[in-house]
Amino acid sequence: MRKARTENTKDINSYCYQCVAGPDLMKIRVEDGVATEINPNFAAAEVHPAGGKVCVKAYGLIQKTYNPNRILTPMKRTNPKKGRHVDPGFVPISWDEALDTVAGEMRTAREKGVTDTSGYPRLAASFGGGGTPTAYMGTLPAFLGAWGPVDMSFGSGQGVKCYHSEHLYGELWHRAFTVAPDTPLCEYLVSFGANVEASGGVCGVKRHADARVRGMKRVQIEPHLSVTGACSAEWVPIRPKTDAAYMYVMLHEAARERLDIDYLKHRTSAPYLIAPNGYFLRDPETRKPLMWDSRGGGAVPFDCPDGDPMLDGAATASGIEVGPDDIVWKHDGVECRTAFQHLVEHVAPYTPEWAAEICDVPVDSPRRVATEFLDHARIGETIVIDGEVMPLRPVAVALGKTVNNGWGGYQCCWARTLMACLVGSLETPGGVLGTTVRLNRPAGDRWQSVKPGPDGFMEYPMNPTGKNSWVSRPPARSAHRTLVPLAANSAWSQALGPTHLAWMMQNENFDHMPDATPPDIWLVYRTNPVISFWDTDAVGEAVANFPFTVCFAYTNDETNHMADILLPDCTDLEGMQLIRIGGTKYIEQYWDYQGFALRNPASPPQGEAKDFTWIATQLAERVELLQEYNAMINRGAAGVGLSGDGYDFSLDETKAHDVETIWDASCRAASAELTDGAATDGLDYFQEHGFRVQDFSRRHWYLYPEIVRQGLRFEMPYQEQLLRIGKQLGERLHEQGIDWWDSQIAEYQPLPPWEDLPGLWETALEKKYNVSIDDYPFWLVTSRSMQYAWGGNVGIQMIKEVADNVAGHGGIIMNPAAARKLDLADGDLVEIKSPVNATQGKVVLRQGIRPDTLLMIGQFDHWATPLAKDFKVPSMNALMPMMLELTDATGSSADLVKVSARKLEGAA
Amino acid sequence: MTRWSMVADLRRCVGCQTCTSACKHANATPPLVQWRRVLDIETGEYPDVQRTFVPVGCMHCADPPCMHVCPSTATRQRDDGIVTIDYDLCIGCAYCAVACPYQARYKVDLPRFAFGAKQMRHEAAREMPERLGVAQKCTFCSDRIDYGLENGLTPGVDSEATPACVNSCIADALHFGDADDPSSNVSTLLRENRHFRMHEELGTNPGFHYLWDGDRESLDTATGDAMAADDKTALRGNDTGAYMPGVIPWQQTHWDWRAAGNFIFGGTGSGLLAVLAATAWSGTSPPAWLGLLALAFIGAGLFLVWTEIGRMLRFLHVVLNPQTSWMTREAMIALLVFASGGVAFFNPSLGWMTVAGAFGLLFLYCQGRILHEAKGIPAWREPRIVTLIFGTGLAEGCGLLLMASAALSGTAAMPIAAALLLLIAYRAFAWRRYLRALLDTGAPARTLDILAGLRLWMAGLGAVAPAALILGGAFLPAFAPGLFALAGLTALAAGWLFKFTLVNAASLNQGFAIDHTPARGSGPTGVGVKPGWR
Repeated sequence: MRKARTENTKDINSYCYQCVAGPDLMKIRVEDGVATEINPNFAAAEVHPAGGKVCVKAYGLIQKTYNPNRILTPMKRTNPKKGRHVDPGFVPISWDEALDTVAGEMRTAREKGVTDTSGYPRLAASFGGGGTPTAYMGTLPAFLGAWGPVDMSFGSGQGVKCYHSEHLYGELWHRAFTVAPDTPLCEYLVSFGANVEASGGVCGVKRHADARVRGMKRVQIEPHLSVTGACSAEWVPIRPKTDAAYMYVMLHEAARERLDIDYLKHRTSAPYLIAPNGYFLRDPETRKPLMWDSRGGGAVPFDCPDGDPMLDGAATASGIEVGPDDIVWKHDGVECRTAFQHLVEHVAPYTPEWAAEICDVPVDSPRRVATEFLDHARIGETIVIDGEVMPLRPVAVALGKTVNNGWGGYQCCWARTLMACLVGSLETPGGVLGTTVRLNRPAGDRWQSVKPGPDGFMEYPMNPTGKNSWVSRPPARSAHRTLVPLAANSAWSQALGPTHLAWMMQNENFDHMPDATPPDIWLVYRTNPVISFWDTDAVGEAVANFPFTVCFAYTNDETNHMADILLPDCTDLEGMQLIRIGGTKYIEQYWDYQGFALRNPASPPQGEAKDFTWIATQLAERVELLQEYNAMINRGAAGVGLSGDGYDFSLDETKAHDVETIWDASCRAASAELTDGAATDGLDYFQEHGFRVQDFSRRHWYLYPEIVRQGLRFEMPYQEQLLRIGKQLGERLHEQGIDWWDSQIAEYQPLPPWEDLPGLWETALEKKYNVSIDDYPFWLVTSRSMQYAWGGNVGIQMIKEVADNVAGHGGIIMNPAAARKLDLADGDLVEIKSPVNATQGKVVLRQGIRPDTLLMIGQFDHWATPLAKDFKVPSMNALMPMMLELTDATGSSADLVKVSARKLEGAA
Repeated sequence: MTRWSMVADLRRCVGCQTCTSACKHANATPPLVQWRRVLDIETGEYPDVQRTFVPVGCMHCADPPCMHVCPSTATRQRDDGIVTIDYDLCIGCAYCAVACPYQARYKVDLPRFAFGAKQMRHEAAREMPERLGVAQKCTFCSDRIDYGLENGLTPGVDSEATPACVNSCIADALHFGDADDPSSNVSTLLRENRHFRMHEELGTNPGFHYLWDGDRESLDTATGDAMAADDKTALRGNDTGAYMPGVIPWQQTHWDWRAAGNFIFGGTGSGLLAVLAATAWSGTSPPAWLGLLALAFIGAGLFLVWTEIGRMLRFLHVVLNPQTSWMTREAMIALLVFASGGVAFFNPSLGWMTVAGAFGLLFLYCQGRILHEAKGIPAWREPRIVTLIFGTGLAEGCGLLLMASAALSGTAAMPIAAALLLLIAYRAFAWRRYLRALLDTGAPARTLDILAGLRLWMAGLGAVAPAALILGGAFLPAFAPGLFALAGLTALAAGWLFKFTLVNAASLNQGFAIDHTPARGSGPTGVGVKPGWR
């Protein structure tokens, strides 16, 4: 430890998991009982991909802890009226009163039944930050597990602020809830708006910096020059929402040129024969899809061990075709083209000349990028990783938010994944990797989630669309199981349906759906949907109508302004928790180790703030769910199962346990799990060392070895399964009289064609709001800020101070040429108006943005959060409509809207 | 020898501000004080745009202007190259801050907390009253270096001996080490990569290097600096309209109207003293109270500047650095001015008046040199500022004398009027030369615009009007007293207007510049830029 300023100085081990790109390990310097500094944890330098460092957000935690604006006692609302302009009249109360009030409401709800008359859970919960709150909410998941059905579908940004389509299609195609390039080996990366330098965390930043110095070329394609664009070799300022067209040109060029033939024949469905109705031609006996064996001259099942599958062209063959709802067509000697042949014909019209006009880029750009991509693909080369020989394909395509969300998300995700398949870089070294699993099971291990399906692909847990299996009554208000087969049914699935539907239903009924009801009780933690969702005015109105809202509150904010009870929990430096680290997690968090890390309190709780585990235990006891709660902890709901082969640290299920006891048992179980029972060190060990890990073979970064081991193929390029379930879903919905999801149903196509996506946006806005889109000449987009994203730190002065060093945080970024036409100068106050709403802020002139595009970084526009409410910085969220017309089949939309700009009088 | 140096790899830096934050933690700097920060510099025009993130802070120059100007010797340089500030010696005059061409120095006069008046626990625990009212800046975390060396650690290699910003850098863009050790990490980086130092043309020999490309093959010089000298002098701004606060030169705020008051009153007073001496040599003896008036002017100027320093009770420390600080020299000369002026008042002999006048000239010269040594302010550091300050001081003094003489003796003031005519001609000449030099060497565009706006005033009010009035007085003796007085007033007003503008409006700082935009991966490098310059 370096020189101490006082005799009573110590460094406390902890972690930062404020953003999805974590967790990262850190040390907190404590002087005379006061946390004063955040530092990297260099003791973790060997095991952590970024050398034990944490990003700028972690440094905000000192101020976060001692912020004088914190809520430090439980509070209750005294004004029954709720609304933005209504004083809630919060008054301090004791923890006993607060917990008794909450528990009383919960017991009442349970007595009425855990679901309401519409079948929706009476208890709802919203957590922000892409799942990161679970790293801070202690044993609350165990309480929720003990409770039963909980509606988690009131989104706080999901579907538009996340990588939504990528989550769903990624999990389907390669167990990739999140997708990342294999940056340590990648040599050529085409990045469509993926803002890894802002949202890839320390691992992403470190790896890409290493890659740059190594000579990797990254082409950044986006309407504005983001931080990531700045750090790229080339910036292509593409027209918003036309990325798919650019990618289709890459497919067009690649399909005519160099391909990884072996990969396509044996690891994809490219050679599968497509029957006349658009479904696979199948063996009548086994129903296995058929390929044409060029060597033997006949149709053979996909798993035929010998033979040489025909890749392109057509063959005359016999078999059956299985359509929706098990319709079977028999074919005798019909001509069937291969899936690859369909693909070649599908992409044939997508020439560079065609795309140049759509994307507003030089004709040469997509052609050259495609050629360079192929030049770097190293088709035919191999690499040995931990003894495993794998293809080396150091090329990748990355997609950003807005690119893979909403309409066009299907096209972009498909094209990206397919591009990788064409050169053999999907799930191979240097290529495109999935880095976490959330919808398939088990979530902790991508390899174990690989299970063979009937058609030679990985099995996928689609929500059923069969006549007797379709879930006609949604179990949650986002209707994810009813409307989105791809959303599956894991603990994460509710948040991956069309979460705006849950909000929209609070204001309007949807035909032939259960009556929209508010939840009896709504728990809110580390999220502020009244700021972070779309059409924030509408969300605010809905929240104001919820009968009983409990917010685990840090400071006042726009959502807990509507709360009935505020509970002050320990912040990041005050609470205790054990979490899993390493393996493969979000974004670029793929490690050579896996294990556990402890969040060890560095500061006593301020005021009456309580550890989240204490709060959860108290609730469990007062709601009379203690036994079930302890059982959930024993089963692993707090992050690690407390018993295993040769060890058992299970808690007595009949007693309420203190925080240290619970985490000591978890630490012991974690030690045992990592050492096959050899070590059983508890809390003391983790407090001293901070973390404990075991090796995680780099082979596990890639799905390819497991795919090969199980003889499976990636479900590319032809989406026969999606075609079938789309038809079935349409049938089910129509049988129930639902036709408002028809345009989404139409998206289930085996080979997605280009659609006029910008036009789709414009037409939808014109029709819904009866406006002329010509009056809204700019596209408004947003971009993540590394300093703020996911951090819940907008009320922290230091973050504001340092973020202001990065251009654009203070206003609306506009191209100077566009500004001149409007007689605008830098710093002028402007009104930005969409058909939905208007906001205002000051103009920030930058050359790094298209003249037809405006940019608002981050999400601000606060009116209650201390400090932030004085920023006077706009957000695009208030300008974004919640519209079914702008919702794709996966239930997502994109951060994109057309706006006008008008100079306002007065200085900004 | 050891030369601790920082290397920032611009290819790696992503502008995340983690180093900025880590520095704030390690050094407990108050809000809006950033010893380390990262600039966001945009170059080019749409669609050919580059954006470069550039860490900056104290460059720990081998030839630090801040140290040379420091009147109290608070700013010093260690043998290992680290430039330090002794908070107990510093008077808070902020001369170092305007002398620094890297805008690395801060001065905070009152306690400042993140959330207004509410001091947080960690702020109370790390309160540093010794830093109030004095200059502060990056120390290269010298406490860590010293601790490390005492414990056998290697700064830049062992984290406990390494600056906090370097430790925290998530892109591994920042490196620290001994540039004098050819085997050190930073020496290796400099040897193997192309690099530049910021504002190297100013001759400060900064200890902060920027890597921008890795191609060693085409290096032009043995030092690894690939940019030819001609290219560097050609480095100019590009006015793309891009918003770059904290990058484009901005108006310095360290010296306000009170500092301007010193140049205004001190310049006029010392000019008057010199002119009075010259008058005595011509055989006339102006009223003795004019000498007192001159001293009062100088005293008023010094009083104003005293109210601006952060540690007023330490003002005597101003005399501790006569070796290099022109502020010290000005203070010492001021003592001699008052002493000799006082004697001359009571004993108005030609000799004492000459001595007082000579010290007045020296005082005036010191004022010119004070501005010239402020290397951080392009409008001040231009060498021709010295003759301009000197010339205008004399013109102002003469103008004041003419006003008094005209009122007292009417046409008898003709010789003084003639002298003023010569002095305003000299001032006009010096002003023109000064402006030409600024245009030739380049300056912040806003500085040039503001000074261009002064041209009419300097010509009209400062030259044409007084000249015409003097000629009018010569040809119309009946109106001579009024016209001469008015001539003196216009000459004086022009000088004051110029100095007030120079100190409070045209004193934009150096801003920041890069010699090259860095290679990102296999992408190209780009030309450098000096935003906001013309």
